[in-house]
Amino acid sequence: MLTFLVIVPVLLAVLLFIFSTNITAKIISIVFQSALFVASIYLVMITRDAEVITIVGSYDDILGIILRANSLSAIFVMLTTFIFLAVSVYSYSYKDRRDARTFWFLMFVLEASFIGLFLSGDLFNVFVLIEVSTLVTVILAMYDRKKRNIFHGKVFLLANVVSIQFYLLGLGYVYRITGAMDMERVTYALAGMDAGNLLLPYALLMTAIAFKNTLIPFFSWTPKTNIYRKSPTVVAAVLSGLQAKTSLYLFIRFQEIFEPIAAHDLFLAIGIFTGIFGAVMAICQSHIKMILAYHTISQIGLITVGISLGNEYAYIGGLYHIFSHAMFKTTLFLSSGIIIHSYGTSNVNEIRGVFKRMPIVGAATAAAVLGIVGAPFFIGSVSKYFISSDVGPLILAVTIALSLGTIISFMKFSSMFFGQSELRGDSPKAEVCKSIPVIVMGVVCLAGGIMGTQFIYFFFRYSVGIQIWSYAQKSIIFIVCALVGYLIYKYVVKGNALLSRLGAVSFGFKSVCASMGIFLAALLLW
Amino acid sequence: MGIFNTENLEIFSLALFFISFFGIITSKNMIKSIIFVMLIQTAVIMFWLKLGREDTATPIPPIIYDPALLDYMERIADPLPQALTLTAIIIGFSVVAVIITMFNALYRLHGTADWKKLEEVEGD
Amino acid sequence: MTQGLLVLWIVSSLAIVFETRTYRLIIYFSIFSLITSVAYFLLGSPDVAMAEAAIAAFASIFFIICIEKYYSRKENVEKDSAKGESLARKAVKAVPALVLCVGLFFLVIYFIPGIEPSHYLKHLYLQRFMTDVGGENAVTAIYLGYRVYDTLFEALILVIAVVAVTHMSYSEKTQVADGSHSEIETSRVAALSLRIICPIIVAFGAYLIINGHISAGGGFQGGLALATFFICRYMVYDIYDISVKNVLQWEEFIFAIIIVVTAIAVFLGAATYMPAAIVPIYQSVYLIIMNLLIGLKVACAFFVLFYRYITIERE
Repeated sequence: MLTFLVIVPVLLAVLLFIFSTNITAKIISIVFQSALFVASIYLVMITRDAEVITIVGSYDDILGIILRANSLSAIFVMLTTFIFLAVSVYSYSYKDRRDARTFWFLMFVLEASFIGLFLSGDLFNVFVLIEVSTLVTVILAMYDRKKRNIFHGKVFLLANVVSIQFYLLGLGYVYRITGAMDMERVTYALAGMDAGNLLLPYALLMTAIAFKNTLIPFFSWTPKTNIYRKSPTVVAAVLSGLQAKTSLYLFIRFQEIFEPIAAHDLFLAIGIFTGIFGAVMAICQSHIKMILAYHTISQIGLITVGISLGNEYAYIGGLYHIFSHAMFKTTLFLSSGIIIHSYGTSNVNEIRGVFKRMPIVGAATAAAVLGIVGAPFFIGSVSKYFISSDVGPLILAVTIALSLGTIISFMKFSSMFFGQSELRGDSPKAEVCKSIPVIVMGVVCLAGGIMGTQFIYFFFRYSVGIQIWSYAQKSIIFIVCALVGYLIYKYVVKGNALLSRLGAVSFGFKSVCASMGIFLAALLLW
Repeated sequence: MGIFNTENLEIFSLALFFISFFGIITSKNMIKSIIFVMLIQTAVIMFWLKLGREDTATPIPPIIYDPALLDYMERIADPLPQALTLTAIIIGFSVVAVIITMFNALYRLHGTADWKKLEEVEGD
Repeated sequence: MTQGLLVLWIVSSLAIVFETRTYRLIIYFSIFSLITSVAYFLLGSPDVAMAEAAIAAFASIFFIICIEKYYSRKENVEKDSAKGESLARKAVKAVPALVLCVGLFFLVIYFIPGIEPSHYLKHLYLQRFMTDVGGENAVTAIYLGYRVYDTLFEALILVIAVVAVTHMSYSEKTQVADGSHSEIETSRVAALSLRIICPIIVAFGAYLIINGHISAGGGFQGGLALATFFICRYMVYDIYDISVKNVLQWEEFIFAIIIVVTAIAVFLGAATYMPAAIVPIYQSVYLIIMNLLIGLKVACAFFVLFYRYITIERE
């Protein structure tokens, strides 16, 4: 059954490409995405009780490829289908997309590769699917013929091809020492082995995975963010909301597989630095999508911290933050698409008075912003609460610094809600198709905060309680942070030339590749 | 058979891996980078094929036209890495084909294949 | 002989590192790939050797088509930014990278796991594949039977690459199927010999495809050989008369058929519903059909790629 969850989107993509016209492509895609969403909810329901395993073909299990859906991957699948459904509703009203067939072909393939990555239980299959999703990502990011950014797309693709070779090499060693490709068997075989033997495959695989995660040595491979800037809104939303999640999921899986020697401390440190640098870089930007893109990097750092801390609450918090990040980041990208379209500019400093101009979309965006900064009663506060609930003072300080950085970077972003719009004339009606997904996801951002524990129980079958007192404490800290952040923003950040120069820092292709080598050496010598 | 035994082949493919890695991080020209990307793929594939060897003698291809061949099991090459590398070769080439197209478009736009110049023109 | 081969292998890769002229780069690359292909063959993997040889040939052709237009033969590829720099300075600049790579090389060698390799899976595959999937070629049995799920995505990635190339190299002016002659000069001797070679290539491709499950070769290798036919055809008749768009549609259509066939035969396990007596026949029919479909698909894909590049060259 799981096989068809991956194969049917591919088949549909191809059939759409061959037979359909543009309008039917849109309608069929919405209908089909809804069906897929329903199927994934069903999958979540069954995996609550037991793991679902599908062997591709009727072969003996070790010989074929095995697909596994446990409760974690089922949640990720549901998230994927939900965001793709939102995105397909959002782009229904696009008129300028003359070549919708190719676009939807690529989108469906991207979705299939994401679902496949979450369900795959085979290490080589993961390689194949990573390649598929990378290639499709690049093409989608450069989809618009007029304003595509081929240079950065090319750097992105080349760097990814190089990084994936590290993965293949590490996979070769894994195959040699365990004689298996299946994740569960590999885990089982590695558990009893001497740690010295596992180091090389672990380092090679993790280099590739960390690269995909845009962790610290790779964080400023701005190609990725540059792709965001010029890519279509829908694509940017999917990439930021989901592409990052696939690599985080792989990160979790590989840390589990290599549990005997997993370098949690190293990744904890890397996560902290990634978070802080991402936040600093986000402060320095003034392009809406660039702020959001760098912010994704900072949040990935936070999630890595949560996962690597090794305590259960932080782990659950990290997982929940993946979900919440996907929600508010997609909302923000989609709504910023509406805003950019309405104002005709993408510079935050020039956009003012969004609330007045389009109140409903503005409210949904505001809900997402409040979620992202971790305001009380919104989705981000719950996950941040759990990440920092049971940690030492150092990590606590780091999480507070991270939310401070987030707040400062979003001060700039949220300044566009208020003030007076310079654009005169009648405010154009925000198109219904575009608003619906934004509003729905904005509501989820609020609901996920208020009913945080219920959501966590539903997703991870893990009952946690929020203590009112410490939650209130966190809320007070947040309010203090917000005030401090506002002051810092007003007196330090605003109009600081040094910061905007820092924001333009980026590494070239060759230094990105060199940092891969350095990262590998660091992992080996750790 | 001297230098061409199992142990050395692994080291040779690792050597090629890092030679091409060196090429990638130093080459100034885009075409050269693309060629090194293909080379690094070759190194990995050679490494994979080497995995399937059990003894040092020249292996038999895994084409079992006679069931009696199965008695010499340790001399037959491992079929799994071969099937996987076949996949990897095609995937690698597909990606390279796209990269070449991008190179073409870039070259037509800016008239140079030099990394430094392109980063000056495009990098912002 | 094999030792010399290995030495040549490393030498040719080093030659690429030090070479700065584009044409020579590509020639060294072809030499390197030829040696690699022979080495693969000596490692007991004729399927991979064939694929590597064909792929490398295509890659070289694409590179040459690409640079023919833009580079003059004498142009030094590194002259742009390295003008006026002495060799010594260049060498000093490369030192950090050299240290990094050599250091990594020795680090990796130091950390190579010392565990005896496990060959359990290999033995299992070799003993089981004839009854499970059929055919005599274990490699074909794996990529069309046990791991057909990977093969689907591999075929998909080729489709994506072709779509990407057509999408990105698109321009309003270019009409590919215009039936006009190209400017490539052909010598009459070459044209005549290609005319003789063409049928042989097609026969060879067909042989590889149809016998893929019992001997070396298979859909991909045969498909690549068939695609070579198109290049020869282009060189002989010197004409663009096939619509790329139609071929692209055909490729996608064949891919859809591949998915359906796989879904019925493997994912749903058609063999389990059959009487045991006809299973071996069914298995070889399945393998031949799959190889045929993959071969046609690969041929279509490479045809589109080649014509696209030629179009770029013609502009």
